[in-house]
Amino acid sequence: MTEIMSTEDTRDHDRVDDILRGFQVNWMNLRDADSGKILWQNNEDMSSPDVEHEARVPKRILKCRCVSREMNFSSTEAMEKFRLEQKVLFKGRCLEEWFFEFGYVIPNSTNTWQSVIESAPESQMMPANVLNGNVVIETKFFDGDTLITTSRVRLFYV
Amino acid sequence: MGLLNILKKLRSNPEKELRLLLLGLDNAGKTTLLKQLASEDVNQVTPTAGFNIKSVLSNGFKLNVWDIGGQRKIRPYWRNYFENTDILIYVVDCSDHQRLEETSHELAELLEDEKLRGVPMLVYANKQDLATALPSSEIATHLGLHLIRDRTWQIQACVATDGTGVKEGMEWVCKNIPTKK
Repeated sequence: MTEIMSTEDTRDHDRVDDILRGFQVNWMNLRDADSGKILWQNNEDMSSPDVEHEARVPKRILKCRCVSREMNFSSTEAMEKFRLEQKVLFKGRCLEEWFFEFGYVIPNSTNTWQSVIESAPESQMMPANVLNGNVVIETKFFDGDTLITTSRVRLFYV
Repeated sequence: MGLLNILKKLRSNPEKELRLLLLGLDNAGKTTLLKQLASEDVNQVTPTAGFNIKSVLSNGFKLNVWDIGGQRKIRPYWRNYFENTDILIYVVDCSDHQRLEETSHELAELLEDEKLRGVPMLVYANKQDLATALPSSEIATHLGLHLIRDRTWQIQACVATDGTGVKEGMEWVCKNIPTKK
């Protein structure tokens, strides 16, 4: 039996499709937030959700008093309830999470969001060899409840 | 004076989350100012075709600074970002004599908006290092700041590219965060 979608459903479906197609994560970086210096930056297209990206970050990032994570993204479509959820996972366990509500997104816009967080005291910080390859920054972008894309970056401390 | 330090000064404030909104014409220096606050390289700044946000978290206290692009085609969208603003920061390129009227007009519209009613405002009179820059007192006159009755305001001369005056402005911001929304 064939189910016929109502016009409204189709329209919603098309809109979600347009948003997904028009959304792209352009770059991401990590900085020492005290000096503002970039410690790692990735300029490849990070919008493909199935790919896990790898970041080779200098070990000294673990000594930084605060670190910033910055993401740049573009959207061809307007969005009303844009938000993100960013998690830092250690072996899949969540160490830290950010929820951020952007609200409106301008059509054909390019935007950045940077979060700055103080690091755990050095005494509580796990050593680089333990963290190495086991930390993933996972960022999920939503419009309301609709997941637009997920970006995953696995950190290696070199 | 980094953003984290600003946040630390604000910790006595009962609000858990603060929102600063940076507006002004394109090329006024909003993004440069934001980068200067975070000690970042200001030589790579390009026109903002949307927004730039910096979120700082310290001891459960959160500061969000919103920098919205100032190009003419983006300005109609500014209103989408007014809600819950604690302090409005308006940036003026004091060397751009030709667009003084345009920036005054944009500011007048902001000040009339219901969503920004009573929100304290800091005006950064930027680019004071340029020979052609008008002094902040003249900018204040052009903008009609002395006629404002319904909010506290301050004008601060600054050079966003080297940080001159930026700290003083942020100190005013810290002191003027409304205690109640």
